[in-house]
Amino acid sequence: MFEGGILMAKGLSRQAKRDMVAYSFIAPNFIGFAVFTLVPIVFAFALAFLNWDGSNPITFAGLDNFKQLGNDIFFKAALKNTVIYCIGTVPLTMIASLGLAIVLNQKVIGRGVFRTLSFFPYVASLVAVTSVWKMLFHPSKGPINNILHTVFHVPVEQLPQWFSGSLVLLSMILFSVWRFMGYYMVIYLAGLQGISAELYEAASLDGANTWQKFRYITWPQLHSTTFFVVVMLTINCFKVYDVAIMLAGGGSGELTTSSTVLVYYIYQKAFIDWKLGYSSAVAMVLFLMVFVVTMIQFRGQKKYQS
Amino acid sequence: MKKKFLSIVLAASMIVSLAGCSGSDAGTSSTTDQTPQTQASGSNDAAPAETTPTAEADTPAPADSNAEPVTLKWAIWDKESTSYWQALVDAYQKVAPNVTIEMVDLGSTDYMTVLATELSGEGSDFDVVTIKDVPGYATLVQKNAIMSLDDYIAADGIDLSKYAGTTDQITVNGSLYELPFRNDFWVVFYNKDLFDEKGVAYPTNDMTFDQYDALAREMTDTTFGSQIYGAHYHTWRSAVQLFSVLDGKHSILDGEYEFMKPYYEMVLNQEKDGVCRKYTDLKAEGLHYSAAFSGGDVAMMNMGSWFIATMLTNLESGEYDSGLCGNWGIVKYPHADGVEAGSTLGTITGLSVTSVSDTPDEAWKFVKWVSGEEGAAVMAETGNFPAIMTDEAMNIITGLNGFPSDDTSKEALTVSNLYLEVPYAENVSEINSALDSYHGSIMSGEMSIDEGITAMNEAVKAIINP
Repeated sequence: MFEGGILMAKGLSRQAKRDMVAYSFIAPNFIGFAVFTLVPIVFAFALAFLNWDGSNPITFAGLDNFKQLGNDIFFKAALKNTVIYCIGTVPLTMIASLGLAIVLNQKVIGRGVFRTLSFFPYVASLVAVTSVWKMLFHPSKGPINNILHTVFHVPVEQLPQWFSGSLVLLSMILFSVWRFMGYYMVIYLAGLQGISAELYEAASLDGANTWQKFRYITWPQLHSTTFFVVVMLTINCFKVYDVAIMLAGGGSGELTTSSTVLVYYIYQKAFIDWKLGYSSAVAMVLFLMVFVVTMIQFRGQKKYQS
Repeated sequence: MKKKFLSIVLAASMIVSLAGCSGSDAGTSSTTDQTPQTQASGSNDAAPAETTPTAEADTPAPADSNAEPVTLKWAIWDKESTSYWQALVDAYQKVAPNVTIEMVDLGSTDYMTVLATELSGEGSDFDVVTIKDVPGYATLVQKNAIMSLDDYIAADGIDLSKYAGTTDQITVNGSLYELPFRNDFWVVFYNKDLFDEKGVAYPTNDMTFDQYDALAREMTDTTFGSQIYGAHYHTWRSAVQLFSVLDGKHSILDGEYEFMKPYYEMVLNQEKDGVCRKYTDLKAEGLHYSAAFSGGDVAMMNMGSWFIATMLTNLESGEYDSGLCGNWGIVKYPHADGVEAGSTLGTITGLSVTSVSDTPDEAWKFVKWVSGEEGAAVMAETGNFPAIMTDEAMNIITGLNGFPSDDTSKEALTVSNLYLEVPYAENVSEINSALDSYHGSIMSGEMSIDEGITAMNEAVKAIINP
């Protein structure tokens, strides 16, 4: 059939020819990836050990950039906030989305509507949604604080400041859980529908109650779904930037030490202060954190399976 | 074994999507704009970074009438909503018909960041760039993206004393890299109707901070439903913190910030007593200062002179309700005890010639013209304050339709000492970020004033002596 092709590539074995075809299909995407993603990433690794402002000659810094991190108040604050945010958001989102999925997997009236409603925050524009949250949680005019004041008699001076100080991370976590649970609910729904009904039937015959069914059928059967959800959530949480800026950004958009996050700090160091080397060092810390956490999760997954 | 490798690759590729956002900083700069420059002088890739004027571009210069056509590419922001860009280009076209100015609008939100990215690496073909703020200026100077204007200034005999001392505050190791063409300074805007209703005398051009504080408190009405705020402070650091640098003894580059304490105390006490809106409320609402003042419940607001042009246009177009804020005036900034009245904060906007420009001489001529007296007249006609404040420019502005007619408001435009919001220093960008951050912490109550000032001291010291 491919007479001409075979003639042209006479010197190649059958296997090599097959590979060539495969590579040619991968190439368009991979070349783009290599030029715009892979090379910059490798370069960023190298930059972490260099000093560069994007224009002047690059100088060698060795480990100086990493040593400086230890004394950098803003970096430490960003690191702490990012970790707290992840520790708060990942389990809460997972539990909330699993709960929603289980409830909306039953035959309840109007479940299509409820499914759509819980998916809606994920589809809506972040800017619009944060504006609504800022109105709801407005420190002096918002309905939440008004209820706290009129119903629970919290004095005006003690009303919570949801977007500053110690509460801002809590606001960010709550917001993210609410925003993302609909998306992960859909993934869990798919997982739930993959569980064979026979298992539940058999369990019912054996007299298992709802909790036992969940504990011994649903949870183990959802194992690979949970793994996917947790890995994606963790990675997304470490990347947090937009939520922080929108909920806590100050007069000129800057974040204070109680709300700054790593990705924001990377941006600030790279494109405001033009310390590309130092910024890459911060990025490496972020990379290592995500890498280690993900590796632990992969290990755990493998152990569980075997 | 193979499976393990696969899982590592998989994990790495997931993370790739994350690192991509930070890792691309290096790559983008070199891939920005590779289009060949279409300048009249022809081949330019031989020595793009050289600043020495090329012979062929220079020789026909004396015969100005029949000069070769030149195109200058100029970086600006908000072309549609800012009146003076096009006005300057049109006026310059009459003076130098051989020059075509091509404006490139980079947007105002992150103008200096975008500009610095454009000018990083090679491939940029800007000739003249507008400098929006001093931290961005410092960045461009350190990147060698803009050229020193010293030789041109000396050759053309530019008198820098006309720029009211602002050029001294942006001098880098004895050299000047930009020439200001617009100079805004801070004044206090007040709503005359509110003062008339209360029967309180208007603010004056000679107020101490204590008098100002007392006046703001006198004007305040905390009755629910008919609130009047005696004062309003926008969320910017400049609006509160920089009251403290007007005594001429202190600067934000000091590294010791105890001198800011009284002013934070004044504003936070006013906030507590309902004299001004709360910082945290303003932040949650994102209330713009123009909306606050035009709403008619703010008696006094400190703001830059750029707001005059905004008031004039929006009152004329009917966007602001003249029943709420149509009767307004301005006075000089309040001053500390024992300091001369009329000391205020300034913000300059300047022009620079890029170091990659292949027609630097023509670019300089444009910069010189815009920053000079002819450019000043154009600026004044659009209601903006030129860097060279000539009597003519002053008369144009005070004569604009809608400018407050009282003598106090006219007199408020004379400035005795002008301190830039951010003067030049090597690390000014980082110092600025640190001060901004702790200003937010103090104003939102995350930190007490003392804690915030201690944190500022520590952070800035670490920046100055790493």
